[in-house]
Amino acid sequence: MARTAIRSRVAVALLAAACATPALTGCSSGNAPPSETSVDASGPLKVWARAANDSPKAYQAIFDAFTAKTGIKIEPFFTLTDFETKLTAAATAHNLPDVVVNDAAQLGNFKSQGIIQKIDKSKIAGADQLTPGSWEAAKDLKGDVYAVPFSAQANLLFIRSDWLTKLNLQPPKSWEDVAAIAKAFTTGDPDGNGKADTYGLAVPGSTTRGYISWYWSTFFWQAGGEYFNDTGGGKFSASVNSAAGVQATTWFKDLFCTQKVVQPSALNDTTTETNKAFQTGVTGMYFTGPYAFATMDNSPVKGKYTVVAPPAGPANAKTLAEGTDIYLMAGNKPNAAKKLAEFMITPEAQKLGMTAVKTATIVRLPVNPTVDVASVHDSDPRWTLAQQVFTNQGHYEPDSMPNWAALRQASSDALNGLVAKCGDPKAALDTLNDKLNSLLKQQGVAAG
Amino acid sequence: MAVARTTVPVALPAQRDRNGGTRRRRPGRLVPWLFLAPALTFFALFKFWPSIEGLYLSLFHVRPYLGDQWVGLANFTRAFEDPDLRAAVGHTALDAAVQVAGSMLVGFLLALLLEAPARHVRILRTAIFLPAVTAMVAVAELWGALLFPGQYGAVNSLLGHLGVGPLPFLSSPDSALWTVMLVQIWKHAPYDMVIFIAGLVGIDRQLYEAASIDGANAWQRLRAVTLPALRPITTIVLILGMIRGLRVFTEIYVLTHGGPAGATESVVTYTYRTTVTGNDAGYSAAISTLLLATTILLTVLTLWWRNRREAD
Repeated sequence: MARTAIRSRVAVALLAAACATPALTGCSSGNAPPSETSVDASGPLKVWARAANDSPKAYQAIFDAFTAKTGIKIEPFFTLTDFETKLTAAATAHNLPDVVVNDAAQLGNFKSQGIIQKIDKSKIAGADQLTPGSWEAAKDLKGDVYAVPFSAQANLLFIRSDWLTKLNLQPPKSWEDVAAIAKAFTTGDPDGNGKADTYGLAVPGSTTRGYISWYWSTFFWQAGGEYFNDTGGGKFSASVNSAAGVQATTWFKDLFCTQKVVQPSALNDTTTETNKAFQTGVTGMYFTGPYAFATMDNSPVKGKYTVVAPPAGPANAKTLAEGTDIYLMAGNKPNAAKKLAEFMITPEAQKLGMTAVKTATIVRLPVNPTVDVASVHDSDPRWTLAQQVFTNQGHYEPDSMPNWAALRQASSDALNGLVAKCGDPKAALDTLNDKLNSLLKQQGVAAG
Repeated sequence: MAVARTTVPVALPAQRDRNGGTRRRRPGRLVPWLFLAPALTFFALFKFWPSIEGLYLSLFHVRPYLGDQWVGLANFTRAFEDPDLRAAVGHTALDAAVQVAGSMLVGFLLALLLEAPARHVRILRTAIFLPAVTAMVAVAELWGALLFPGQYGAVNSLLGHLGVGPLPFLSSPDSALWTVMLVQIWKHAPYDMVIFIAGLVGIDRQLYEAASIDGANAWQRLRAVTLPALRPITTIVLILGMIRGLRVFTEIYVLTHGGPAGATESVVTYTYRTTVTGNDAGYSAAISTLLLATTILLTVLTLWWRNRREAD
């Protein structure tokens, strides 16, 4: 009897062990090629967009207009930080949406998974109307187009104007000014509550989705750095450990380690938490995109902040530019998907994306130049500035690399580690450079 | 003694003796399986089959839309050579050991304090049990806010009054893992407490009386009566805790995303990352398979060790 009890206990324990251990499910190893049929499958068009708060409502306005015009029904799905996670799961389950609206930076990642379709620009109605620059954010290294551009933007510097006034400061014009103001915001009690509970700069320093390097890129480029050297013939070598890289990284690290002017939870924060830090008066400066006007205006900092062009660094005044693309997925409704993309780049849809919902501008700067930003936004000077900064200072990440998302993730891991340990920037960048070179090799574009 | 009273399988041999033949034994044997069938079907569909599928996928470079490539044992070889995974295994082992031991100790002490039928104790017990039934995501979000590393974070404000801190908690690679462990102990100790209380209730009161008559003090009664009687329960708590420790995910993912600087990366958060940001489901399937094997091995070893101790 004792033995039976023991045996059954072993069995139960084994069962518990097996049940408790997470198993990653995948699906069959089938590999259906993208559908090339000319007839769409039945059912609504499944569209996923990376959006949160009120942005889904703005997308819905565009989709409703599309359905009214074409009779094609849309089944939308929205999520933000875990967008790629959910999409990868859908791909693994062979249950992809038909259309995805997401950052241009994911192009290589999606292409390398074989989940997006190549696009023949000549067959997209209205493609010739879009700014030539916007198409650059939809191409791979060979110049093949894999997406339809939808929106563009460049980061600006958001500053608490009431804090500047209180401490008698002017908006920054250089890195030194940024550091000095950040210090004053941290130590000068700008909110006047008698507590040392404010910080200078808001930084999304988490490695999730590569946030920290995404943010750091502006400073890196401003010091004159570039992630890669183009060695010709579609080959590249990493160059983050250049003198410019070390200069930018040292400055960035000092904000955390020496000056201590960044919100203390930064290294685990994504943009969600970082937005909150700015909105709730924890931080006084934040480099972020014009989409944040709507977010911030819907919070207690409304009317208490000003927006300026990012101040220049030692080499130039470049700032992180980004695109949002419409991806046509490997699905079985290619015609309806194409029609939606064509509609989303019309002036009508672009305007809807800018103004349909006051608290969400899903089209930041229109890709269709027939839409006038200033007049659509009732001459809001911030949008005029956003347009100017994008045109004059905007610098894209190397989105067209075979898988930029993977390269950005490696950069983020390195930067987060360096800042967390307050380590040696040169050593960290040397290690990162080797890592990037090995990734370039894996992606088949390494020089030498 | 308590164990013998609660052992269910006793019924089966008794039935066999009474009926003798095999004809009536069958339906009798089927009944428990029928009761188990819904749960087993569920586990088969959502646990066992995925585990087998995972084992199969671990032999491929998984590319859902481009066709999987056979790589043999390459994913496993890579797992043994991967320094990031090694670090994650280290964090997981340390985390499992500390939080299992911590939860058991705190759970046991709480059980000793709160094992009484009085009404106010029942209310207190329910209140203390609440963390165990609260969703981990909610718990982690809450602690994330409480542990804000600035001077005005809720916990740091309190510490400030005592002249300590502000402590960095989750924001420093040196303290992040320890902070996560504290949150885990806070969450899991009440669960262990309930199991220990169940064990304490099952101890025959006569043993305590006998010990008292023999002149044993409270400490001696605890050592000589309570602890030995709780052995089987302790094994269960240990195994459950170990499994929980090895697959730790939610609290780490919500509190730190595995950071800063990878200081809290556990095996499962690492697996998750290789799947969803690395798009390498084959490799993560290999890691998951190894984790499953490790868990089974550890479980069997614990039981074997326990049974030997009991036999002695």
